[in-house]
Amino acid sequence: MSGTDGLALATRGLRKNYGSRHALDGLNLSVPAGVVYGFLGPNGAGKTTTMRVLTGLIHADGGSVEVLGKPFRRGDRHRLFDVGALVESPTFYPYLSGRANLRELAASGGPVQPRRIEELLDLVGLCDRANDKVQDYSMGMKQRLGIAAALLNDPRLLLLDEPANGLDPAGIVAMRDTLKTLATQGKTVFVSSHLLAEIQVMADVVGIISAGKLVREGPLKELLSFQGVVKARVRPSAVEAAIRILAPLATAERLTETDRDEGWLAVRIAPARAEDVSQKLAGAGIYVSGLESGNDLEMLFLELTGGQAITGEGAFVGLGSTTNGSAAGKGSAA
Amino acid sequence: MRLLFSGLRKLVRRPATWVTLGLLVGLLVLIIVAVGATANSRVNPTREATAKLLVTFPGAYARILEFITGLGGLFAVIYGAAIAGSEWSWGTLKWAVARGESRVRYMLISYVSVAVMIAAGLLITFAAGVVAAVVGAHLAGVSTSGLGDSATLGDLPLRLLKGWFAVVEEGALGFTIATLARSQLAGIGAGIAFYFGEGFASLFLPDIVKYLPFSVANAALSTGASNAQMFAGGASPLPADQALLLVAVWLVGALVVAALFSDRAEIAG
Repeated sequence: MSGTDGLALATRGLRKNYGSRHALDGLNLSVPAGVVYGFLGPNGAGKTTTMRVLTGLIHADGGSVEVLGKPFRRGDRHRLFDVGALVESPTFYPYLSGRANLRELAASGGPVQPRRIEELLDLVGLCDRANDKVQDYSMGMKQRLGIAAALLNDPRLLLLDEPANGLDPAGIVAMRDTLKTLATQGKTVFVSSHLLAEIQVMADVVGIISAGKLVREGPLKELLSFQGVVKARVRPSAVEAAIRILAPLATAERLTETDRDEGWLAVRIAPARAEDVSQKLAGAGIYVSGLESGNDLEMLFLELTGGQAITGEGAFVGLGSTTNGSAAGKGSAA
Repeated sequence: MRLLFSGLRKLVRRPATWVTLGLLVGLLVLIIVAVGATANSRVNPTREATAKLLVTFPGAYARILEFITGLGGLFAVIYGAAIAGSEWSWGTLKWAVARGESRVRYMLISYVSVAVMIAAGLLITFAAGVVAAVVGAHLAGVSTSGLGDSATLGDLPLRLLKGWFAVVEEGALGFTIATLARSQLAGIGAGIAFYFGEGFASLFLPDIVKYLPFSVANAALSTGASNAQMFAGGASPLPADQALLLVAVWLVGALVVAALFSDRAEIAG
């Protein structure tokens, strides 16, 4: 495969069809080593199909995959000895304890040091419940156990599908810190998620997929430098007037998803020009009571995916023309 | 070996293992003790003699073993289906594959674990059956002098081995059906239907059915008693040696199908 030096994971022209539907339509991913890579896409875009192909659960109809610098074809299962994966919701033997599940899982695939299980139980905060049967675990606990299972063989490449699912806020923060730490240790973390805010604070590099194709890929900072948003709050009765006033400056949209959005406008403009927004409105006699600016992954995502709705836990409805209920991007650093 | 030991640990801790064993032992003990306790109260002398045969040694050894391969075969189908089906239903096969484990190796070793558990279950059930038969013999007032019959005891290990082989073949059918169905419930349901379907079909197509898996499993141990006749319908059961060969063919065939399907299947969900 050409042009894949220094990449922990690469796909070239990856194709997968389900009947007449193209789940993957020539997907080209380039995941650099030692980064947290955010893999984003609307429902049905092909994220899970990609994860399944990368973990050998299903076989691609065309194209190629390179894992840790070596081709990963049918029969190259040993490549996965250096890969840890959490694909879809984690599933276990319900009648076994968390500790026993990890021990039995460690019996398959590459070798695992026995002490590793205790280290991981400690890492994911399950030591106290490690001897309880998994059938008594909450979804969040199963997710923690799934993350521990993915880390069993101390993988150089970690593939995680929606790892924040079911985790409480503290768990999400801990998970995020763990993944960032792994990346600083030179490991590569590939995270598929629909939680844009989570990816925005965690990922170094982002790939956005739509309809089975990669529509944008690159360092997050670089991508967001072209995608700014300023959010301004005015009197609810002045929102329509404010949108008209700002029209010569930039496109503005009303945020109406929740009551807390009342009076808020999203203005697509570089964060550095927040002052211009305030000045323009003040010049027309409309004074802002709140002003936030930042780079918004959500805006970029919606633009690239054609505003397709994302649904699911912690998700929001697509911006469309008038709506945006997400907290993503709010208060992000200017 | 670590995969095999893991498979055994999983099965030992699995409630289905103990429920299956408990049901089989319970039924066997209940039937034998009940027959022994009521043998003398039967009005018909022929029936009384037949009932006493079940608790009369050394013949009781063979009858207990036939009971185990008969009803135990059905239980093995259910157990095999439960083990294979749960790997798909619970998504645990997915974990192993994503860790780089060979699908074929994983499934085959899973079944080897099942076969080991069947061996242990067969020995436990047989021992419980013998104890129950001794109790039944006392209740029926039948002598247990044949208990130590040296010729029968000398032949017993080989008969147990053949019995195990037959039950393992029956379990493999359940295992394969559940693998193809990717579901515990579907596998168990189809396995039970196949078991009774074969018995029912033997009434109409005895010359064909006698080559089918459950028929050959019973014929492999047959001493001309009930189970083999049930599955053979009106036809004569196959000779034991020929049946044993066919048991091997069905066993290998079933496991090859399960392995090939697992290797090629797309794992989702």
